[in-house]
Amino acid sequence: MTLAFIWTIQIILVLGLSPLLIGIIKKIKARLQSRQGINLLQPYRDLWKLLHKDEVISTDASWIFKFSPYLIFGLTIFLAINLPVFARLNFPYVGDFLLVAYVLALGTFFLALAGLDIGSAFGGFGSSREMTLASLAEGGLIFSFLVLAIAAKSTNIYAIAGFVSQASVFYLLPIILAAISFVMCLLAENSRYPFDNPSTHLELTMVHEAMILEYSGKRLALIEWAAYNKLFIFAALAAGLFLPFGLSFGAGIFGMLIYLAIFSLKILFIGVLVAVLESTLAKFRFFRLPDLLFTAFILNILAIVLIISL
Amino acid sequence: MTPILSQFSYIIAIVVFLSAVGFHLSRKNINLVFLYILQSSAIAVLLFIPAIQEMDFLLLLAAVLTLAIKAVFAPYFFLRLIRRHELTFTSNAYLSLPLTLITLALLAGLAYSHVFKSFVDLSGGNMHAVSLAIAAIFVSIFLSINRRGALSQIIGVLSLENTIVALTLFLGVVDSSGLDIGVSFDIGVWVVIAVLFLSMIYKQFGSLDVSTMKKLKEE
Repeated sequence: MTLAFIWTIQIILVLGLSPLLIGIIKKIKARLQSRQGINLLQPYRDLWKLLHKDEVISTDASWIFKFSPYLIFGLTIFLAINLPVFARLNFPYVGDFLLVAYVLALGTFFLALAGLDIGSAFGGFGSSREMTLASLAEGGLIFSFLVLAIAAKSTNIYAIAGFVSQASVFYLLPIILAAISFVMCLLAENSRYPFDNPSTHLELTMVHEAMILEYSGKRLALIEWAAYNKLFIFAALAAGLFLPFGLSFGAGIFGMLIYLAIFSLKILFIGVLVAVLESTLAKFRFFRLPDLLFTAFILNILAIVLIISL
Repeated sequence: MTPILSQFSYIIAIVVFLSAVGFHLSRKNINLVFLYILQSSAIAVLLFIPAIQEMDFLLLLAAVLTLAIKAVFAPYFFLRLIRRHELTFTSNAYLSLPLTLITLALLAGLAYSHVFKSFVDLSGGNMHAVSLAIAAIFVSIFLSINRRGALSQIIGVLSLENTIVALTLFLGVVDSSGLDIGVSFDIGVWVVIAVLFLSMIYKQFGSLDVSTMKKLKEE
């Protein structure tokens, strides 16, 4: 099995299934609110519709505004090859957790720049809020990786996934603490409740939507698709690092198919978890959000203390 | 102690520790009570293991009593108190959430430090669970110190009792099942008195926040 084949599968998985994950989350949230909800395939239709629409670009927009959607979307494709989907295939040069964290941060940085570039008030406050949250969430995210990296004595995501799948029960508590803080960072980085309301355009609350308000047509489709991909990437990271069951099936075509079925179930589980969390939590006031992200950071510090003392 | 039993003890210690940390993060009184039920159930499971292993009737009775008093009787009284006085939210803590969490991390670090190494060495195969139980003891003491709400402070004391029981079980220093039965009985009586006392405080001051209790004498 060649490296290119594996990477192609991972890219197809991320690009192909990420809108479905969003559809599932929206459907579950609707059902929990006793509503019928959208069709599971609605996000695909939305993307298709946007890809076929004309776009309006402000005369004030610089190359940053025009170029950012392609870059942000491209970064999610790059991240797709770094996911620990088939952990037994230990690739060199890719899969370092610092690389993943900084590529995610680069995407956020360009999104914030694009929000500022157009000069609108909405873009400005959206970018400001996003940077405030991202500066805290990135720390929590890197430290939740770091907990596992210290335990596995490697910064390679594939090695970490392999270690966690065979770790003794005495590593359970640090892994649980890191997983809790990873989920908090997942919600913050993907603009979900209680950090942001992904379906609002209310100026008091919106963060992500404020930054992309000036986009339309194909570029908006790419930004939206990149956001779907980002959530899927986080879910795949959580599935690979914190729920590494069934990794031993990864070798050979048949084993790979079995593992892909297990992987899909794990992604579904994370989707259900996000939907239930979003349905049970109220959106926090903006000035309470740093406390929540600091909680994620300190839980990781606690986990590192426990790991070091083992 | 067999490796499987040692691992199981560690999982129970995780539940006890996480519930103690959860008390600090909880903003609602009802969550405090449910976390206490979880912690007490874990302690009861810890008591059931030697009882079933040794087929000791008295130890089994102690485990059942612990479960009944700590996981059913005490929570019932607390829930009734919460519903009667509509005490939905806990009072604020003296330290902010970030400072509280930093303190918890420091306390956990202290429990795992060399200060307690000789103590942990006594535990035989249960050293990880013992360290975690010591950390949970510190976290419980800190709950009673840090919270302004009387109910949170009472839960903190009860959590402290749970964690001390866990520590003694992990160290294997519990010899008498009669002692466990006596402790459970004491807890039952103490909870009734504490809930009555809380009701009287609420009637007098209109709040369970201890910082509002400025005038302790009637004029």
